Amino acid sequence: MAPLELGLAYGGATLLALFSGMPIAFALGGVAVLFMVFFMPGASLDTVAQNVYEELASITLLTIPLFILKGAAIGKSRAGKDLYDALHTWLNRVPGGLGVAIVIACGLFAAMAGSSPATCSAIGSSGIPEMRRRGYSPGFAAGLVAAGGTLGILLPPSIVLILYAVAAEQSLGRLFLAGIGPGILLVTLFASYAVLRWRHEFGVATAAGLPSEILRQDRYTLADKLSSLPRVLPFLVLLTGVMVALYGGIATPSETAGLGAVLALLLVALVYRAYKISDLKPIFAGTLGESGMLLMIIGMSLLYSYVMSYLHISQAAAGWIVGLHLSKWLLLFAILLMVVALGFFLPPVSIILMTAPIILPPLREAGFDLVWFGVVMAVVMEMGLIHPPVGLNIFVINRIAPDIGLGPIIWGTLPFVALMAVAVVILSFVPGIAMALPDWVYTK
Amino acid sequence: MSIHGIDAASGAIPNTDVPRFGLLGVVQGAVDALNGILALGAAIAIGVAGIVLTWEVAGRYFFATASDWQDELSVFLLVGATFASAAWIQARRGHVAIDALAAILPPGIDRVRRVLADVLSCAFVTFFAWKSATLLIEAVGDGQTTPSSWGPPLWIPYACMTAGMALLAVQLALQVLGSAHRDATLVR
Repeated sequence: MAPLELGLAYGGATLLALFSGMPIAFALGGVAVLFMVFFMPGASLDTVAQNVYEELASITLLTIPLFILKGAAIGKSRAGKDLYDALHTWLNRVPGGLGVAIVIACGLFAAMAGSSPATCSAIGSSGIPEMRRRGYSPGFAAGLVAAGGTLGILLPPSIVLILYAVAAEQSLGRLFLAGIGPGILLVTLFASYAVLRWRHEFGVATAAGLPSEILRQDRYTLADKLSSLPRVLPFLVLLTGVMVALYGGIATPSETAGLGAVLALLLVALVYRAYKISDLKPIFAGTLGESGMLLMIIGMSLLYSYVMSYLHISQAAAGWIVGLHLSKWLLLFAILLMVVALGFFLPPVSIILMTAPIILPPLREAGFDLVWFGVVMAVVMEMGLIHPPVGLNIFVINRIAPDIGLGPIIWGTLPFVALMAVAVVILSFVPGIAMALPDWVYTK
Repeated sequence: MSIHGIDAASGAIPNTDVPRFGLLGVVQGAVDALNGILALGAAIAIGVAGIVLTWEVAGRYFFATASDWQDELSVFLLVGATFASAAWIQARRGHVAIDALAAILPPGIDRVRRVLADVLSCAFVTFFAWKSATLLIEAVGDGQTTPSSWGPPLWIPYACMTAGMALLAVQLALQVLGSAHRDATLVR
């Protein structure tokens, strides 16, 4: 069988296994083993377990459980609410300051916790009720938090970027730095939209001439503002301290993950007095559930990619794409469209590990910087977190604010999907937004 | 909702797949106990890995002591934790799957699909556990170690892999049998 035909059969079997409802990890591993049985030497089956172990025993991948632990410690504390409250206090004089505070709180919390659902849950549980109380439409409030939460897969320490670094054999340090500029770009776009929406809703309320919560102006004294800082500053110090340790040459990425996890646990214990077994249990249970599930998918995805490479499927598919002689930008557009389509039913982890061997060689040949592409791919996968039918953040918001309903939440997220598409276009025209920082740091 | 600012509800999703009575209930009870012990061990392993890596930074920065064992120990701990917690996660249906067809298929066919997915998963995991056991036996027999200067024995992570995947296979088999039992009860 020719590699391309084999590839079609491999893809078909994968879809069948995935849609059968098998857990993604076992579906990918099962398909890989099935093709080993029929198309590879019998001895290769003896190396299945060893392959998975060797792929998982990677110093880069082992950062994942520790970054998840750091995120779980911060995510399950009141840090998100305190961060949002503090920002609201400081930004209350900015027009539409409530929405701006939520977006910035999402960005900072995502950078501390590294998790999109945790960010949505932590900021949304207090931010959405406050926005609704202040007269914003429920759909907009939900959309804003859902979109803000997606920053977790772009800003360091993004697990998606860690996986991309492994799959694309790119520097994790450069990728983390490259995610910061686009992250700030998205925060700016989301915050600008929040201000525009506030102006619109403020204008409507003023024209109606009726009392409205959106017309009310909160006043905070300097004492109020300063009193909000003690609970927030330690976490901001943790956020910057971990980055300084990483880029100051003090710690490697894996050490940074360990250090971040231990410091986050210490801070949660000190600031929120969460040190009892009953406090630590949900943190470790959440970490175990998420990291075990993710690493199992990663291990089996790497086995899946190994089989694809052994059978020359990835090489043939990459060659076929190159043979199409698409223009550079059409190639990028087609690949990003495919990532969006895969985002309808696959999590970002699987998309990266399954597609990297096929899409990266043509992109490299077309002259794209793979660090830049990794960040753009992350932005596109962010869209997958808030677009229907399987946008994870939509369901997180639905869980914390069930009375809004899925319909208004989905409508509320759509403008942000469009803003993310705008960000991709801007990043394509101005790649320096992503690359300036890593280029500067690594050429110093 | 929260004690000291911590959400106490997470991680406490009950396993409703397997009946809590009869022989299946007894076996699931034993597996739950084992899952609990391994999950506790896995949680401790993740915490220890964090401490080991923090110590590595502190030792190098403050005491100028270089060592070669921390990374390898952390890998052992985290790979071990991944496999040791696999069955505990499966008991809570925590290994994510695409369930899009559940909304489209008629209930009877959907039940068959779910059981089939569990059977296929169980078959793969059993195969993987068998290959892990083979690897473990070889590692013990040949006295295999990692190639580093520290050179810890490889049977340690392979044993975690074998035990974790074997327990995962048992958990999946229990869920298959549990589904069949539930369906039989529904038919009656």
